[in-house]
Amino acid sequence: MQWQTIYKKEMLDHWRHFKWIWVPIVFILFAVMDPLTAYFMPIILESAGNVPEGATIDIPTPSVGEAMIMSFNQLNMLGVLIAVVISMGLISRELSTGVYELILSKPVRYSHYMTAKFTAMMTLLSVSIILALITGWYYVTVLFGDLAFTQLLTSAIFYIFYFMLILSIVMVFNSFLTSPGLVAFLSIFTVVVLNAFTSIFDHVITWSPMLISDYIGTYIFSGEIETDLYFSTGIAIIISLLLLWLSIILLKRQEMH
Amino acid sequence: MDDLIIQLILPLVILQLILIIVALIDLRRVEATRGPKWVWILIIIFGNLAGPIIYFIVGRKG
Repeated sequence: MQWQTIYKKEMLDHWRHFKWIWVPIVFILFAVMDPLTAYFMPIILESAGNVPEGATIDIPTPSVGEAMIMSFNQLNMLGVLIAVVISMGLISRELSTGVYELILSKPVRYSHYMTAKFTAMMTLLSVSIILALITGWYYVTVLFGDLAFTQLLTSAIFYIFYFMLILSIVMVFNSFLTSPGLVAFLSIFTVVVLNAFTSIFDHVITWSPMLISDYIGTYIFSGEIETDLYFSTGIAIIISLLLLWLSIILLKRQEMH
Repeated sequence: MDDLIIQLILPLVILQLILIIVALIDLRRVEATRGPKWVWILIIIFGNLAGPIIYFIVGRKG
């Protein structure tokens, strides 16, 4: 009951700030941009001129799989960035403005407060990701050829857990910092470090959640889900839950100071 | 070929327009922004895709 109240309040807040409109639109544009430019590149170059007489440019047209992966890659960079930035103030802003004290003056449990906020943001992100990837898939199939819809949908669901991990990292920093900017910076820094670490040791830690999008890539090419994808997604879920738990503890400690 | 371009690009242009309009409506509604409002109008309209995004992220105060 109480959990639902906070959840609804959060959803209403997201509506009021038009997040339910602009985040899906921005994600869709990100997902469509790259496959579209890849397709029209030869035409763009032709009309842009500057090509010396007689020169032939041979740009290989990407395959369906490659084009679809372009969508994922865009979301991997810009999508993650947007996700971090829109959730950087979820709690830290309330901590710094005093709204937090106001809410906790009512009998609200820390765990409810944290998980309701997390779930509301996760709802927004999941819907945006699914819509973006479906639109991306539509453009890719029109321009490059066939790709099974169920394959895309399965990939999208795995991909959502990657964002769940990102969001739980943001929540940890949210729970003890009062500056949204610092939260965003530290979250992105953490993601970059994890990515670098994974790419150095990727033959050892094949279960790293940072490899989820790579495994989705192989799945889109081969059509078969490797066990590594299940493992890395499982790890992503476990780490997210642990981080969420940690952030609830940190938030409680914040109150005692 | 031309038909295909229009069919594929038109929806994106419409989405971008919605983004700009929503940003402008929000700008009208909020009491205070970081920096003068007329600058934000310029950023939203001429800032391409990044304009409205930047407004939504850093534009509002509080």
